[in-house]
Amino acid sequence: MSSATPSPVPSSAHGHHKRHSILPAVSQSGPKPPVQFSSSCTIADSALLTGPHTIIVSTESVIHPRARLESLGGRVTVGRRCIVHERACLGAADLQGRYHKGSPDKEGRSMGAVTLGDYVTVEVGAQVESGGTVIGEGTTVGIGTRVGAGAIVGKHCTLTANSTVAAGEVIPDYTVIYSNGLRRIDRRGVSDLKNKAQARQIDVLRRMIPSNPGKFQ
Amino acid sequence: MSRRPPRGEYIETDTGNKVARKATLVGTQNIMLGGKTVIQPDVMIRGDLARTIPPAQSASGGPANNTAVAIGRYCFLSRGCCLRPPGRMYKGVFTFMPLRLGDHVFVGPGTVVQAAQIGNHVHIGGKVVIGEFAIIKDYVKVLDGSVVPPNMVIPSFSIVAGQPARIIGEIPEGGIEAFELRDLYKTVGNNPQPTAP
Repeated sequence: MSSATPSPVPSSAHGHHKRHSILPAVSQSGPKPPVQFSSSCTIADSALLTGPHTIIVSTESVIHPRARLESLGGRVTVGRRCIVHERACLGAADLQGRYHKGSPDKEGRSMGAVTLGDYVTVEVGAQVESGGTVIGEGTTVGIGTRVGAGAIVGKHCTLTANSTVAAGEVIPDYTVIYSNGLRRIDRRGVSDLKNKAQARQIDVLRRMIPSNPGKFQ
Repeated sequence: MSRRPPRGEYIETDTGNKVARKATLVGTQNIMLGGKTVIQPDVMIRGDLARTIPPAQSASGGPANNTAVAIGRYCFLSRGCCLRPPGRMYKGVFTFMPLRLGDHVFVGPGTVVQAAQIGNHVHIGGKVVIGEFAIIKDYVKVLDGSVVPPNMVIPSFSIVAGQPARIIGEIPEGGIEAFELRDLYKTVGNNPQPTAP
């Protein structure tokens, strides 16, 4: 029997140049959105930005490959030092496939589709529906979580994996949503430490992920 | 006039790995496949999230082997799953640690794996979330839809389910043969063999 020597993933079938990734092309469906990128943000080349409305990415935020930012329901605003992981979707349609527009707020200005505060982490496969959804500063939206349209999530919350926030729900600050919809309040007082750790993580990610904002402008 | 054969859905390497053309593998030089591994379409493997602190300073120089994801033999990664190395603060710097899968690991569709280490003969169901730095030992069955919290250690021969995942049972004496993935490997690919009766 042959010994199990590990082999690197095959690059090119013809073997000349060494491909560094196997990234099947994703067709750019939908209009190319107007964007406002900060000069220090990191947008991976294979991020997907679609929609007619503006997409704003602020200082030092990181958008991983294959993350989707859809502005079909309104403007998408990503705060400072946010991290959006792969296959996460900001501005998603709801389960029936509709993109909500969000009612105007008290001063009559229209709410954007999705607004992320500073230091927010949106993890792999999370779906933040459009329609005036606000994610407060420092919140972590876990893997596979679905945040309903128009929900207002407070600051420094933790939404663990596969949890759901109903449409229009208001989540108070420092809430932890875990297990099958259970809630509790996070009293650890570690918000500053988490923000500092997020800044360090962003320093490392900025060097690892090749940024290509020019592709979207 | 000769016709080239139509391009198959999978790339088959000389070590027997079957990698789908529609899989998304980022940073392939940091991904190690053991051999006879199947990677289905829509799988995403982040090999670019590699360790930034080198494990040891080599005197001879040359590029260090910086493995981000190491996968064993006869593994099966189903559609839509995502393998990503876990990361944490280490000595004041944020760094990613390698994700190591053993042999005969089945990863179900839509699963996200951020574990530190997965042993041999593990069956992970669909839509499972394995949190960062979890350690799964050998002969474990993780049922569909479970959420394994970060840093959890799952001992050998357990059956795990729930959100958060709890050990709900043990693998019975005769249940070990069910973990073998050699037959499943033959049914996939450009020339799939039908399953044995």
